[in-house]
Amino acid sequence: MQPSTTPIPEPVVTTEKAVRAQSRGEIVRGQFRKHRLAVTSLWVLGLLYVLAAFADFVAPYGESESFFRGEIDRSYAPPSRIHWVDPTTKSLTFPFVYNVSSQMNLDTLEFDFSEDTSKPYPIKFFSQGTPYTPFPINLIPIEWRNASGINPQINLHLFGVDKPATIFLWGADKLGRDVFGRILFGARVTLTIGIFAATLSLIIGLSLGAISGFYGGWVDDLIMRIVEVLATIPSLFLLLAMRALFPLDAKSSVVFFVVVLILGLIRWGAVARAVRGQVLSLREEDFVMAAKGLGARDSRVIFRHILPGTASFAIVSFSLLVPGFILTESGLSFLGLGISDPNSSWGLMLAVAQEGGMQTFTSRPWMLLPGFFIFIAVLAFNFIGDGLRDALDPKARR
Amino acid sequence: MTKYIVRRLLQIIPTFIGATLLAFLIIQLTPGDFTDRFALDPNADAAQLERLKQNFGLDQPVVIQYFRWVLGILTQGYLGESFTYRSPVADIIVPLIWNSLSLVVISLVLTYLLAIPIGIYQAARQYSNGDKVLSFFSVMGLAIPNFFFILLLIVGVLSFQAGLRQVAQGDAWYKPILNFFTYDLRNGLIFPVGGMRTTEVYDNLNLWQQLVDRAWHLVLPTIVVTTSGLSSLVRVVRSQMLEFLKADFVRTARAKGLGERIVTYKHVLRNAVGPVISGLGTILPELVTGAGLVEFVYRWPGITPGFVIAIQQQDLYVVMGLLVMSALLLMIGNLLSDLLLALVDPRIRYT
Repeated sequence: MQPSTTPIPEPVVTTEKAVRAQSRGEIVRGQFRKHRLAVTSLWVLGLLYVLAAFADFVAPYGESESFFRGEIDRSYAPPSRIHWVDPTTKSLTFPFVYNVSSQMNLDTLEFDFSEDTSKPYPIKFFSQGTPYTPFPINLIPIEWRNASGINPQINLHLFGVDKPATIFLWGADKLGRDVFGRILFGARVTLTIGIFAATLSLIIGLSLGAISGFYGGWVDDLIMRIVEVLATIPSLFLLLAMRALFPLDAKSSVVFFVVVLILGLIRWGAVARAVRGQVLSLREEDFVMAAKGLGARDSRVIFRHILPGTASFAIVSFSLLVPGFILTESGLSFLGLGISDPNSSWGLMLAVAQEGGMQTFTSRPWMLLPGFFIFIAVLAFNFIGDGLRDALDPKARR
Repeated sequence: MTKYIVRRLLQIIPTFIGATLLAFLIIQLTPGDFTDRFALDPNADAAQLERLKQNFGLDQPVVIQYFRWVLGILTQGYLGESFTYRSPVADIIVPLIWNSLSLVVISLVLTYLLAIPIGIYQAARQYSNGDKVLSFFSVMGLAIPNFFFILLLIVGVLSFQAGLRQVAQGDAWYKPILNFFTYDLRNGLIFPVGGMRTTEVYDNLNLWQQLVDRAWHLVLPTIVVTTSGLSSLVRVVRSQMLEFLKADFVRTARAKGLGERIVTYKHVLRNAVGPVISGLGTILPELVTGAGLVEFVYRWPGITPGFVIAIQQQDLYVVMGLLVMSALLLMIGNLLSDLLLALVDPRIRYT
């Protein structure tokens, strides 16, 4: 056989650039980019997550490293003043701090901190400090690390000063712990609990909603009644009561998963109800009929053919569930039923700040900082959720 | 309408059974037996233990225990005994519920009174500067945690304190004005920063002063709880109004020459108000939850502080009682909103 000799016609080359059809992903991404607040929020959150991951390195001190009632007492120390001007030559120098000492003020019965200007302590970048296990490895539980013998410790910090001087960018709490560092460590808890809990409640909501809509009948009735009952009890009380099932003084790592579990178990109702509605119409589609006709099992029809149709809803509700969970988690920690000392979480930090008595809040405004972080994180997630909803909705194209 | 009410009332039964069952299950799963705490406590009141055992049939199977418990609630309003206070649960939780309810109901009424006009304004002037500013505030309101907001307000009030105190000691000409506006000049506070009343002097005040004192204590928590409900409700009102402003019948109404006021209130609002009323079902639990954390910060003796204490002390019947009562309150709230909806929207009562 001779290969065909007819020449393949050359594609017509036009001077204009060929218009290529955009894929759905490209359209959605393009739409999302037009939502300026959402894009900014994505960057802000990204930064927070990176800082949280490398908190050990960025923070000058360890999570529970405290300067309290020892040689160096920094209980409620205000933010360290960083000096740029050399006092003798009056010229710009490398930034430095002074050592501070505290005296009881007999009028207010509080400790006033004053600087000892005799010796400057320059800020050292990439300094040596408290040893820690670096980021990806510290995700492995410590028992496994010890058992396998892989437990590298490094003591490199982004910045620090020589003792007895201390550097607290955002002041110190009652036990003389660095608020800046503890906010970064707290971000680990607060920002991940939301993600985990939202994933869990999305999985439960999607599966139960799909089963409910697909089968109908008594299964549907049962699941929808459970959703109603869950909606009848205020979520805070349900959360508190379920928290009572687990020991209150458990380790923070255990509490973390307990809280994820509880949060995931109480908020799936709205997702399930919405998914059920979508599945009710999706199950009448031809492609479902085709899948059934080809002999696919029910589970395959549900999870391979129907649920992907609810993907945009799932993405949007995920991003709107997370901020709710962040608020709930901080509330729970604030009530003293979540993560507990010495570990940190934003809600817990506010609770500890409040213990000092309201009257003293005015003299220590830096203790309120964790609240602003909760606010920013929730705001950012809300904006991203709004942006995603608009981007995924064909009617809202801009 | 009667048929609708009866049907709606019947729907309460399965939900009530479900809610009580859930509360009962949670308590059953809690480690330790009901009587354990009594057994460990050397000062335990043997009579109370006996009373509990008898009333709840604690030596009988779980199913029977559940039925006796529910029957006790329904027939005598008996919720069990508190371990900590050694008295019936109802005596302890009823005042807590009243305190919380006063805060939540006032905030709820304010939320609706404010949300509807604000939402209408925003929809009528979509994308105007006023709309943008208000939208910005409602986004902020959704993101700020309630307990943080009340903390900020308290800190704000306290930072005024120093200045006011100086005026209180001196004799400035504006002292009488301040006296009039200041709640407590002795401490130089514009608003109280915690509690339900000024405990030290409350009993010596006359009725009017007592009322004023109580109202003054309500201000800060009400602001916080109201704004949290407001932020979500305003968005609902606004989007509902916008949807109906585009409707054909609105164009018809305008074409007939009706005034903007009649179009907005008679044609648009009347149709748009449905989801706003049924929003009560979602706003109410949000407010209860939101008020909870505010109560905790503000030392308001409401449900949530009682709940947290009960959990910390493993006072299980109090926990169970509060769960059931709060569920009952929400059910009543939902019922009211559904009835109101049926009253406003004839399409619901005739289907």
